[in-house]
Amino acid sequence: MQEFTAENILQGLKDSDTKVLDYVYDNFFYQIKVFITRNHGTEEDAQDIYQDAILVIYLKALKNNLTLSCSFNTYLYSVCRLLWLKQLEQKRHLKTVAEDTGIFVELDKNVLELFEKNERYKLYQDHFKKLSFSCQKVLELFLAGIPLKEIANILGFKSEQYAKKRKHQCKEKLVSSIKSDPEFKYFNNGNPKTRNNGQ
Amino acid sequence: MDNNLKIEEFIDGNLTEKELQELMILTESNPNFKKDVVFRAEVNDALRDKRYAELRKLLNERSNNMASSSNKFWFQNELLKTWHLAAASFSLLLVVGGLWYILSNKPFSTERLVTKYYKPAHPILQIRSAEMNTDDALKEAFSFYKQNDYTNALKYFNSLDNQITAKFYSGVCYIELEQYNKAIDSFEYVISDRDNLFVEQAEWYLGLIYLMNNQKNQAIDQFEKISDSDSYYSNQAEEILKYLN
Repeated sequence: MQEFTAENILQGLKDSDTKVLDYVYDNFFYQIKVFITRNHGTEEDAQDIYQDAILVIYLKALKNNLTLSCSFNTYLYSVCRLLWLKQLEQKRHLKTVAEDTGIFVELDKNVLELFEKNERYKLYQDHFKKLSFSCQKVLELFLAGIPLKEIANILGFKSEQYAKKRKHQCKEKLVSSIKSDPEFKYFNNGNPKTRNNGQ
Repeated sequence: MDNNLKIEEFIDGNLTEKELQELMILTESNPNFKKDVVFRAEVNDALRDKRYAELRKLLNERSNNMASSSNKFWFQNELLKTWHLAAASFSLLLVVGGLWYILSNKPFSTERLVTKYYKPAHPILQIRSAEMNTDDALKEAFSFYKQNDYTNALKYFNSLDNQITAKFYSGVCYIELEQYNKAIDSFEYVISDRDNLFVEQAEWYLGLIYLMNNQKNQAIDQFEKISDSDSYYSNQAEEILKYLN
């Protein structure tokens, strides 16, 4: 099996490299599954925590040029451990784990902030997927920096002004859909609730 | 203009100086309004981050495949590979800096202007050229460009000597790599050619590079040139000039 360094893995996450994702899952998931199932969780919980941890590490690598001073395995385990502790605290009011199955390092506060950001991103993207195809396209093109005139051409709108109006209507639909979600209220009160990763 | 529209126009960089000042006052005096500004900008960031969406999708697919696989073949070793994924990664344009930066810094610094107005050019969707080799090199280059891998994209763009499309995008790559003098060379080449579709964009980027490079006088000259022309960027150049003068 091809080996990857921590640096390769972080780059692979940024590039959604499937070989890297395979490698990380095949080599490191088992330890996380054992940790979570021995600490009041199920295999499904382990899958969710693992996915969240990978997304949090992606966000951290992307925004903070993450350089690891430990192995990737240790870092991933530490992030999963922190996220699971947070869930245990929310669900069962437990503040410690009964059993560790790996070495862990202390993480900076920023990881929890990124976890909260990850929860918000998931909420926003899930509501975006509920919009009509036309609305999704308008917003996608606009946010990719395509000029309104070109958007009007691509989507067959009669004018640039109409494209702008449509973009505004779609964004308002999205905002209103997100705001009506009970989970948004948790976020807004600075109390994020862990979401499922599934669609 | 209602408040929602005002916020969206702010995020999209469409407010006039006066409207911007009004919005800043409102933001400072009304915490809920400020929260809404941050929320709406973050929604845009989340939707722009295609790589995040792609990674999440791949993780979900693996998780679903593992679940169904474990139901069917529960006796198999869980480390056995049971899935294949389609590789397709899109990129996108990340707005430089964050909204907090915009809101919390002193008004109209050059960095704020760059943050507000600079966006890397969107890669062109169709490549047509007379030579097959040029096509292939451009395709390779754009594939790296879309992944924000500007170093590798440059290798291909630069392999095409003075081909105008390649020259233009090499300029954007150099900006992203903060090699401003080389970016200036690329855009000046595109501008001096005159007979191509990238001239207006190259002129616009040239002005922004001068801002990034703290060459305020050159930036003013460049934006004056743009605002006096019928360029697509003339209004934005005019707005920048108001801040610079």
